[in-house]
Amino acid sequence: MSQHDRTHHAKIATGKGDPQCFKGTAGPPKFKVGERVRIRNLPDIFYTRCQVYTRGAIGEVAVVTHESPAPEDEAWGHVDKSEWFYIVRFRQKDLWPEYPDAFAKDTLQTEFSERWLEKV
Amino acid sequence: MAAPKLEAPLDDLIAAGAKWTPVPLLEEIKDHGRAWEDLAAQYGVTNPDPPWKTSLDGMCEALAAGSCSSVAAVEKEWLEGASDRAHLPGAPALPLLERRWEEDELSATLYQDVPFPERQLLALAHSLIKRGLIDERGLAQKVQEVRERLSAT
Amino acid sequence: MPHDDHGHGHGHNPPAPMVDEISDFEALEIAVRELAIAKGLFTAEDHRKFTEFAEHIGPTPAARMVAKAWLDPEYKKLCLTDAIKASLAVGVNWLNPTGFGTPSDYTDLRVLEDTPTLHHVVVCTLCSCYPRPILGFQPEWYRTPNYRRRLVRWPRQVIAEFGLVLPPEVEIRVEDSNQKCRFIVMPMRPKGTEGWTEDQLTEIVTRDCLIGVALPRPGVTTNLKMPVHRAAKPAHH
Repeated sequence: MSQHDRTHHAKIATGKGDPQCFKGTAGPPKFKVGERVRIRNLPDIFYTRCQVYTRGAIGEVAVVTHESPAPEDEAWGHVDKSEWFYIVRFRQKDLWPEYPDAFAKDTLQTEFSERWLEKV
Repeated sequence: MAAPKLEAPLDDLIAAGAKWTPVPLLEEIKDHGRAWEDLAAQYGVTNPDPPWKTSLDGMCEALAAGSCSSVAAVEKEWLEGASDRAHLPGAPALPLLERRWEEDELSATLYQDVPFPERQLLALAHSLIKRGLIDERGLAQKVQEVRERLSAT
Repeated sequence: MPHDDHGHGHGHNPPAPMVDEISDFEALEIAVRELAIAKGLFTAEDHRKFTEFAEHIGPTPAARMVAKAWLDPEYKKLCLTDAIKASLAVGVNWLNPTGFGTPSDYTDLRVLEDTPTLHHVVVCTLCSCYPRPILGFQPEWYRTPNYRRRLVRWPRQVIAEFGLVLPPEVEIRVEDSNQKCRFIVMPMRPKGTEGWTEDQLTEIVTRDCLIGVALPRPGVTTNLKMPVHRAAKPAHH
């Protein structure tokens, strides 16, 4: 990440905030609220915020949150390509097989960039 | 070396164990320094945090500032053992996630018996020394100098 | 300097107690900071700016946001649709102190609304992401691997350790805050607070309630002091 990138970021984000400064840069979102998605098990890459416990699990899009460069790119200072982000809701039973049946209603939500999601 | 899994770095890195070498200066402070909870109790002060806590937080933030985001631009080099940041112009001095992960590891190992936020301070100093961003001897001198300055009447 | 020994007017209160001792930790904090500035790792100006930020943040604005929302359905709607904008009404501008936030705080706050059949609780399994501008610093337990790892998997067990036991009919929804969104929980207004003012309501919306490990109750205005446990070697997810 160069000094230039940092200055550039400060310039585009000042007065707007981050992720607001990336609004309108990702095109139309691929998934909509209520849609069932599977978390892709992408090959191990160096940096990600996608938690291991969700890999391969199926959930439902709860919120289409914002556009932003994915952390996998942003970590290297690449902020020219944005993606949509989604909060996905899982049933706890689908994440942890041993989760007690008595609490089958319990859920967990976490957020992903679009590259991590595929249609079910 | 195999790259540790970053999604759960603690398991791998704590398992690595030996990675954390005690720093004599920090061991000395750990063993003989008086933590705020003791001082506050002795002097009847009710503030739960020591007066230097916000400055410590300001320092952590300032070290991470300048990055495009809170994620690290330099984690790869660090994890691969090439910790020389001189080749990475513009990188934040100590990115947030790195500091937090190292603090987690150090809190579970070398500084496990130190209360918070003293532990956070020791971990920060440790991370900076480990990277060669500040050196132990220079820091020892500076601590001594600060102590004399503050005790001057 | 003693100035009230003749009892003439001012100084009815004894001076607040002070710690009259320089600890090694205090000296270390100053030494690290001065060296870091001398080496150009950051500027004194940046440090001042972020320290001032650290001195000003706390949980009260988030508590007030919830209290206001309980009293004003229009404001509640704003909280649920644009919490960054709603924050301005409780004195928080998320763009401070740099004009675009801080390195640790993005500017997308989401308010999670509890209902009679749904209870939210927040965690960051990655590090300790937290809505600091409106909620202050994380309590120590929130930063520990112990809480972070166990909450996603055994949420009922963990919140029970805070004294919060909910029946199976109530869905517990864990929010793992791992990207740019930050979250606070908006609990339901408890019984026994009819006719209360915004100030009174603000007092019972504690930090723990806003994370989701407690529910507001009349008369309870403090957080639980949790012992911090070391992480036992957990199962690898």
